[in-house]
Amino acid sequence: MVEFDRSAFIAKFQEEATDLLQRLNEGIITLEAEPGNRPLVDQWLRDAHTLKGSSRMVGLIEISDIAHRMEDIMVKVRDGDMPYTPEMTDSFFEALDAVVYLAENAGKSAADDYDVVELTDRLASLAATGVPQAAPAVKTEPAGPVDEPQQPASPAGEPGPELDALPAEDDESAVADEDVTPTADGQSAARGEALHSKTQATVRIRTSQVDRLLNLVSEVVISQIKEEQRVRDLRLAAGLSVEMQQLWSRLRSTMSILPIDEQNLLSADMKMFDDLLSTQRKSLGAISKAYADDTSRTSAVVGDLQEQAMELRMLPVSTVFNTFPRAMRDLARQYNKDVELVIQGGDTELDKKVLEEINDPLVHIMRNAVDHGIEPAADRVAAGKPAKGTINLSARQEGDHIVIEVSDDGAGIDPGRVKAAAIRKGYLTESEAKAMSDREARYLIFEKGFSTAAIITELSGRGVGMDVVREFVVERLKGSLDVESEFGKGTRFRLTIPLTLAIIRALLLRVSGQTFALPTASIEETARVEPSEIIKVEGHEVIRRQRRTIPLVPLRDILGLDTVEPEHASSKIPVATLSFSGHRIGLLVDAFVGEQQIVIKTLGTHLKRVDNVAGVTILGAGEVVPILNVPDLMTNGRQLTGARMRRATQVKEKVAGPSRILICEDSFTTRELERSIFEAAGYDVETATDGAMGLARLREGLNPDAVVTDVQMPNMTGFELTKAIKSDDMLAHIPVIIVTSLEREEEKAEGINAGADAYITKSVFNQDTLLETVERLIR
Amino acid sequence: MSAHELMTANALVSAQATEILRRRAASLAQAPDDAVSVESTGLLKFRLGQEWYAVPIAMVREIHNEYAITRIPRVPDYILGVVNVRGEIVSVTDLAALIRVPSRVALDIDDELPSAIIVANETCVSALVVDEIGDIIDVAREAIEPPLSTLDKAQAEYMSGSVFVDGLLIGVVNIEKILEPIGESHDGRAS
Repeated sequence: MVEFDRSAFIAKFQEEATDLLQRLNEGIITLEAEPGNRPLVDQWLRDAHTLKGSSRMVGLIEISDIAHRMEDIMVKVRDGDMPYTPEMTDSFFEALDAVVYLAENAGKSAADDYDVVELTDRLASLAATGVPQAAPAVKTEPAGPVDEPQQPASPAGEPGPELDALPAEDDESAVADEDVTPTADGQSAARGEALHSKTQATVRIRTSQVDRLLNLVSEVVISQIKEEQRVRDLRLAAGLSVEMQQLWSRLRSTMSILPIDEQNLLSADMKMFDDLLSTQRKSLGAISKAYADDTSRTSAVVGDLQEQAMELRMLPVSTVFNTFPRAMRDLARQYNKDVELVIQGGDTELDKKVLEEINDPLVHIMRNAVDHGIEPAADRVAAGKPAKGTINLSARQEGDHIVIEVSDDGAGIDPGRVKAAAIRKGYLTESEAKAMSDREARYLIFEKGFSTAAIITELSGRGVGMDVVREFVVERLKGSLDVESEFGKGTRFRLTIPLTLAIIRALLLRVSGQTFALPTASIEETARVEPSEIIKVEGHEVIRRQRRTIPLVPLRDILGLDTVEPEHASSKIPVATLSFSGHRIGLLVDAFVGEQQIVIKTLGTHLKRVDNVAGVTILGAGEVVPILNVPDLMTNGRQLTGARMRRATQVKEKVAGPSRILICEDSFTTRELERSIFEAAGYDVETATDGAMGLARLREGLNPDAVVTDVQMPNMTGFELTKAIKSDDMLAHIPVIIVTSLEREEEKAEGINAGADAYITKSVFNQDTLLETVERLIR
Repeated sequence: MSAHELMTANALVSAQATEILRRRAASLAQAPDDAVSVESTGLLKFRLGQEWYAVPIAMVREIHNEYAITRIPRVPDYILGVVNVRGEIVSVTDLAALIRVPSRVALDIDDELPSAIIVANETCVSALVVDEIGDIIDVAREAIEPPLSTLDKAQAEYMSGSVFVDGLLIGVVNIEKILEPIGESHDGRAS
């Protein structure tokens, strides 16, 4: 089955266990003094129970066993079956230490070097008899228990030596040293101390505090950049001073031609000026050097500080991935598919901010894989594949990026089907589709509102899918999403995102006298083209690069800026080519300034969302520069080149006038509910109480924009009505939306066979789903 | 270069000084209130064109002088751009353009700009560019009347009341309305 990556949960368990163990230890200490403290015993039992449960959850069975045995003993004490004896204290401490050890070494097969079985046996015997069984003297000679069973089992003698070996093995810090060989009398104190130190090994901090810290750190980084600029300025000033002195010495030698009297007259001042100049040169030189040294030292520290601060927010991706096996099981059941999820690279670390955002797009992609990718078991077997489908989810770091891939061994994306759907929905003409390569066709799935599904259901085919995912990835995570697919073999989505959202690389460029930053991740190429390379096609300018035709748009026009004469006129025109959603667009700019790392800031709290602008950055000199938003640029740029004009005009034509809906529904309540929903949304609503009446009204020439029908109705069912509509040439163009309580796949299939355009089950029925579906179909 | 740095430093100091003075003024203004049990409110007066307006002092964070605005493309006309206030990015609102103060030409951000009042509520911050900053006045809450009924609708929205002080009618600006976030849906200059 699914390989369950426990690492992230183990970290959480360790955090929890640290708290629990401290309380359990403290509880034992208090209990020894006041054995009859019933509330304390109850609290202790609850903690032990929690420990048992959570350790079992993360698969640390040994801890769970030990906790279970401790519980057994304490239950007897609580119920008065056994008195609390000091010997128990020792056993409990020993057991708790064992748990501490096991918890800290969780997942490192620590259980092998700790004889848990022997310990649990002794605890079991204590639970049975109330008297601790003596610990074996040496672990390698388990046959020889020490005499005097009445004496407390010496935890110091038994686990001591083993724990002793730990620090060396585990690279544990000094705290572990306190663990070893506590003396018999000072035991509890020493142990308490050791545990106390351990709880301080991690500190829980509110994320808002970390964020504030990071904000301050980026301020420090920015002022450090300014500082470095100042070092250069100072060095220039020192250089000037040197030049000045040289000029002065030339001047002085020229003065030697003056009459000797005048020379004498000037000599005192000249000497003084000489000294001043030399002092100034020396001191400026010294300051400049000292400042440069200090700054470079500080820069190194600031660099480390920034790195460490960023680290604070890094978490393994498994914290998100670990919820997926369960989600996948649910999805597989929902779609009635047999799917296995294989997760790799769960320990890859990522900024917490990114992690928070990454869940939804990944779920979306996986849902897509289960719904559209993995075929039904029968089809898979027929195609010679294992009946059970596999979805691979992997994460890895590549440079300063994280690559997350979701691949399935399903049917792959059929370029033919995508093209057909694109033609049906008016994205493409037949001839355009013919000219389109398979690779380009696959990118159509990223088009707004695109869906290949034959029927709209509440789960998929709504066309809110990959386009949203992709925009989200680019806009929010400053990354990119790509797809590869081989028809019949499978599909692979590749998500590339920067390690952190705070800093990205960007190209600074100038347009209309203003500087802008363009994220480097989306830039395919920058070039300075000769005006002669620009070709006019149908009133639009394009260039040919590497056998592709790339439409050109002046960035100025997208941003709606005034034309300003370029600062230094050059015959070559700078063009930055963006690549997004399989489309390319060349942005004409005035000048490239250079590429650098920038710290991303929002536009402030007042400007929530501004077209084309993703945020701002502050440059070294304190200058605020807007960061451009690539998806917006593409959308707006393509509109300017006319690539999207056709679709835009199509939409406009249809919007005119209120749309009319025919509702066929026998239940009065449902009918009136639907009527009010559509009327509130501005539709004209006509109703019929059954299929036959609905059909009659249609044949009378009602001509609605859509029909919304129930399935189970007297005289004529919704399926029959749908069939009748779709087989009537006069009516076949009217979209039919089936709203029903039938939820089984076969019934949905019957709906599809009847020719329905959408199928909404009443269990998920809500106003938005209904309206959205109808609007989508009417368009 | 260094002159510029010095200027920003001066601006900082002057902003801080103004802030201190403002607090001092506010505390002085409030002192007599203990004796008289009339509920009063502090208002910061400012001039737009020929007219005087005021904002509740409680919502004023600081006064910002000598700043460089970065233009942001395709935002509403009354947003001049953003400024960097000690690392925090703050939008700059041309209040006169927003509330359509007559006899006032639109600001050109390339010219030297007058002072800006940085106002904030719990969620939003913006810098309001005004022509002149006046005194802080203390008025009884009951002295604040509803906005003039002669105001046109667009302007009335941005006014929370008016108050008559020393022979001047002062419009009290509705900061909450001005600080409503921009661009939750798609927003843009009609072009």
